[in-house]
Amino acid sequence: MLWKNTQNELIKITSKIRSYIGIGALTVLILLVIFAMQADGKTYIGFVTSTFEQTLTFNGNILNGNLIAFIIMQMLIVHVPLLIVLVTGDLLSGELASGTIRMLATKPISRTGIVLSKWFAATIYTLIMTLWMGFLSLFVAHWIFGTGDLMVLNPDGLLILPSDDLLWRFGISMVLAFLALWTVATLSLAFSAFAKNSVGPIVITMAVIILFTIIGTLDVTVFDDLKFYLFTTHMATWRIVFEDPFPTEDILISAMVLLGHVVGLLLLAIYRFNRKDINA
Amino acid sequence: MGLIEVKHLSKNFGSFNAVKDVSFQVNEGDVFGFLGPNGAGKSTTIRCLLSLIRPSGGEIKFFNKSLASHRLEVLAKIGCIIEKPDFYKYLSAQKNLELFARISGKNIEKKQVLEMLDFVGLAGREKDKVSGFSHGMKQRLGIAQTLLHDPEIIILDEPTTGLDPQGIIDVRNLILRLKNERNKTIMLSSHQLSEIEIIANRMVIINQGKTIVEGGVQELLDKQSLNVEITVDRPEVFEALMADKYPLLPVHRLYHSTYYITLETEERNQLTEVMVASGCGVRSIVPKRSLEDFFIKIISS
Repeated sequence: MLWKNTQNELIKITSKIRSYIGIGALTVLILLVIFAMQADGKTYIGFVTSTFEQTLTFNGNILNGNLIAFIIMQMLIVHVPLLIVLVTGDLLSGELASGTIRMLATKPISRTGIVLSKWFAATIYTLIMTLWMGFLSLFVAHWIFGTGDLMVLNPDGLLILPSDDLLWRFGISMVLAFLALWTVATLSLAFSAFAKNSVGPIVITMAVIILFTIIGTLDVTVFDDLKFYLFTTHMATWRIVFEDPFPTEDILISAMVLLGHVVGLLLLAIYRFNRKDINA
Repeated sequence: MGLIEVKHLSKNFGSFNAVKDVSFQVNEGDVFGFLGPNGAGKSTTIRCLLSLIRPSGGEIKFFNKSLASHRLEVLAKIGCIIEKPDFYKYLSAQKNLELFARISGKNIEKKQVLEMLDFVGLAGREKDKVSGFSHGMKQRLGIAQTLLHDPEIIILDEPTTGLDPQGIIDVRNLILRLKNERNKTIMLSSHQLSEIEIIANRMVIINQGKTIVEGGVQELLDKQSLNVEITVDRPEVFEALMADKYPLLPVHRLYHSTYYITLETEERNQLTEVMVASGCGVRSIVPKRSLEDFFIKIISS
């Protein structure tokens, strides 16, 4: 029954126009970045390299597909959650708002089953969005700009990663980006279990992301202990994949924190929906 | 056997007691009328029966099994419409039914979905999106969804709300077909008391969250006073007769020679004979007893 209802949820997602808004917007954004880099990428790179030009000489194709992919990921990690939440924030509350929840909840499927099937569908949608982002940013950028070493500007200085050392790093960064987006999707699903309309969970999820991000960037000691527990702190972990030496322990800790959020938020959604009186 | 047994059901929303003490029993093969004025607790009770709402107290049993501990097993044998049926507007009628068929607990083929759409008169509209459907069409689609998995019990909460007269007749005929041709047990909540009187064999009336009366529709109606409309050829003879033989009976003159009288059970048989013998020229005696009168009397008392 769980799988059958997950199939239903996927049919609902693929039949709604809003599901394609995210994919469409993502495609347009990435293509715009690629177009901008093709048109004026050398100037953009010039700003970064000018600082080092007195001490370093840059040879080869700096403006390559790997750098474009890295720039795209850096830009989009803030915006993609909004595109995901447009769909996942509506999954439970949308059924309450439209009244279809009455039909669904009187079928022989448990309330837990309803939440889990929606969560599975949200997971698949998030995975597709992440893979699409990865495909466009990495493969399309490589096709247009070719390959080359990646120049990463870290707080410690400039790091050059050889091109044959990058594919696995992009792979792991995609896994971490997926974990971050999965957390956001589950957060919006949990809010969706509390709300009666679709707008509320979408707005609240984005408000939480903005609030946590601001707290994470505030350099105030009172928040220092708190920062570790905010999922937004770990949403940017994909970036440290491009450090040398590879920070395995930090990455594993961040992955565990994000997974912990996913499990905790899912349990909250299940608990809330099981106790909910459906009066709609 | 009681297919549905509700005992001392209660439901509180905070400090508000929506349902205080509702008990009734629906037997196999019944068309069971579930009546009450607005705010009596009908919808809350039905939502408790379908486990949309968690009861605060009492017991609900289906097929002699507790709903709380056999929820999925019970829901697999129930079809329902709660108020207006809502569907996924962005999907077609057929797609909507296929979604619900997939989680109905039975293996339902596409052919059966199309047959059911035909049964409710939506053949030819199966590919149309529900967003373009009228209220009546959605109601018919709701009935199709209710019957798709061939449930043993059908629960209909206000199934004729918002329908035009033809729609109401269609739903009534459909319910009668379900009872007569498919031997379904049907629990029906409605404000259309005349409909209930025609199609229900048993009923319960609730008010202010409590059961007021339960029993067979005809049995309950037989127990109450009978209103009759009498038309005679010689009104002066009739009036003299009533003043002489039944001085305590309230007689209301409706038109020139038509009267409205309320009779107790024991006076019914005797009056006709006395009137004929008096020579007042009885043209017609029309019983005016109705569920509406009974309902209003029960609620106001």
